[in-house]
Amino acid sequence: MSDALVLEGVSKRYAGHVAVDGLTLTVPPGTIYGILGPNGAGKSTTLRMVMNIILRDAGRIALLGADPERDRKVLRRVGYLPEERGLYRKMKVLDVVVFFARLKGVDAREARRRGVEWLERMGLADWRDAKVEALSKGMQQKVQFITTVLHEPELLILDEPHSGLDPVNQEVLRETILDARKQGRTVILSTHNMYEAEQMCESVCIIAAGRKVLDGRVRDVRRQNRGNRFRVEFDERTAEIERYMAANGGVRMENRQGEIWEVELPGGGDPNRFLSELAGLGVPVTRFEHVEPSLHEIFIQHVGNASVAARRPEPVHV
Amino acid sequence: MSELLIIIGREFRERVQSRNFLLGTILFPVFMVVVTVLPAMFDRGGSERHIVVVDEAPPGVVDRFIAALTQQSTEGELENRYTVERVQGPFDAVRNELNERVLAEEIYGYLVVPAGVVDGEEVSFRASAVASFSVLRDVRRAITTSVQAARLQRAGIELTELASLLTPVRIHTARITPTGEDGTDAGASFLLAYVIAFLLYMMIAFYGANVLRSVLEEKTNRIAEVLVSSVAASRLMLGKVVGVSSAALLQVLIWAGSIALLVTRSDWLSARFNVPPEALDALRVEPLLAVVLIAFFVLGFFLYASLFAALGAAVTSDQEAQSLQIVVMLPLFVPLLFLIPLTTEPLGPLATVLGLVPFTAPMAMPMRMAAANVPGGQVLLSLVLVLVGLIAVGWLAGKIYRIGILSTGKKPTLRELGRWLRMA
Repeated sequence: MSDALVLEGVSKRYAGHVAVDGLTLTVPPGTIYGILGPNGAGKSTTLRMVMNIILRDAGRIALLGADPERDRKVLRRVGYLPEERGLYRKMKVLDVVVFFARLKGVDAREARRRGVEWLERMGLADWRDAKVEALSKGMQQKVQFITTVLHEPELLILDEPHSGLDPVNQEVLRETILDARKQGRTVILSTHNMYEAEQMCESVCIIAAGRKVLDGRVRDVRRQNRGNRFRVEFDERTAEIERYMAANGGVRMENRQGEIWEVELPGGGDPNRFLSELAGLGVPVTRFEHVEPSLHEIFIQHVGNASVAARRPEPVHV
Repeated sequence: MSELLIIIGREFRERVQSRNFLLGTILFPVFMVVVTVLPAMFDRGGSERHIVVVDEAPPGVVDRFIAALTQQSTEGELENRYTVERVQGPFDAVRNELNERVLAEEIYGYLVVPAGVVDGEEVSFRASAVASFSVLRDVRRAITTSVQAARLQRAGIELTELASLLTPVRIHTARITPTGEDGTDAGASFLLAYVIAFLLYMMIAFYGANVLRSVLEEKTNRIAEVLVSSVAASRLMLGKVVGVSSAALLQVLIWAGSIALLVTRSDWLSARFNVPPEALDALRVEPLLAVVLIAFFVLGFFLYASLFAALGAAVTSDQEAQSLQIVVMLPLFVPLLFLIPLTTEPLGPLATVLGLVPFTAPMAMPMRMAAANVPGGQVLLSLVLVLVGLIAVGWLAGKIYRIGILSTGKKPTLRELGRWLRMA
């Protein structure tokens, strides 16, 4: 199976600035791929170039193996959720989802059947004959999501899929995306919510100011970005441990159960030597791990604090 | 089913299912009937007025006045019917009694004809409110006839000659066509021309603005982004224009059908509403003419709808759209501006030019054709020119649409519009 999406040196310039600058990335098939970046980083511009909504100035795009600019048909195999949502306000809910599915080549009766099914699944069964404008914003978002998936595309491109949804509906959406992945579809989503990305994505690409900062599998990214911080847990607390930690700049994790310390790798930077020193303290070491930074921390480290001020979730350590 | 048909279907259904469509479809024929039948009803029926004449005048004047008023009203020359009662002067003797009768609404009003009326002394008409304009006109007409007769008689002209001397001239109007003389009068063809022009103008204004708004909706809602990932922009535009036009055409056909039905039932209508059958003649249209009219309507509508679609794609907000809408509609005003020369000199050079320019022809040609027998070659040429104009405009509009529909934010300058044209 070929890659779902390949970008090579893709650029988009506007009069005043460069929106996307030589972006290169590869989305393997059957994964959930996150494009992360602060507001204005070029996430939406990138996705819109992929969807052939705006034309790129330079570079190569292979979407499901085809160039969307030359072979428009490939776009039918994609489900796209734009960042700014919109539906025909005067149309009935079921009619709207059927309309979009038919445009993607689904037969009318089949589109109707799937539409009813999906509305049911998203808790909108009672609204199928209501006009779109009668729905709340969150409900409209779910309807729009249905229009994205109803034609059962191989690839889903979701631009900020969670924005504007309440926690319950975010969860519904999350499950739906994970489901799509289970059925073998590829999902590309853009977000500036690192917590969400960490929960869902297998691979990510972090971009800032139109350039790629880093990309790869989340596991690898975190491993590559871990520093010298270690987490150590002892069976009990002794004065000797406290002395050692004080000497080496260790910090006791007050909010945790048990006797847990975090400490920068001391003395020469050899983890094994560090472990043997800890063992020499006379209390059994029950945990010894190299702390991996969260995506959030990596993001801030690379992109800078300013750009992610707003949506900071509860920091999570793994 | 191809995407184009799906788009057309959606656009068509959205228009036809709207409340406005239903309302417009029903209201327009009602409006037409009201406009054609109501005046005829009032013409004929009129109201019955009871008036009193206070006679201080020389003998004969009031007799002739009464005769003129009652006779002319039965002949339908006047707008009201009258019963007239004569009261002998002097006025001061009967004034209070008459005033009371007016207030009791026993009589509509009374006319005082003074002794010196033949020498120019004025008559006075008194009623509870200011007398209706039509009554005053009728009264003036009758008393003038009568006083003029008295003056002529005094000048030595025999009474028997008067009637023939004063007979008003009547005009019969006819249109000359290759098939012979056509009895329709000028008023009827003028009305038809006016209705057609007004209809096209109205439909373009209404549905054109509708196209513009719906393109703008798709653009600002970003529906367009999703749509162009399934359908080429040019097809999207074509689908919209054809879909909306079909709805407009359906409405017009329903109207035409109901009017045709009215015409075939004109006997029934005239009996029912007590109007002469001729009142509905204005609505009678030859089948061939109807086909040509519809052709002009469809082409003209497409032309303007494409312009509106391009405009909708080029602008970024409702306010902007509204101010530019006028510019697009400007060519439509031209035939309305020249309504008089178009109908009075339909074969003159101005009318000919207006009938050939693609932007004005869809309105000007039907107007000319209603007013005169325009040579078939010219009609054909005009149709071809409008078609060529439509293709050119559609092609350009498609390019503007292709780029404009997806670009949001800053509004494009004219130079950027030019670049879009070269790019697409």
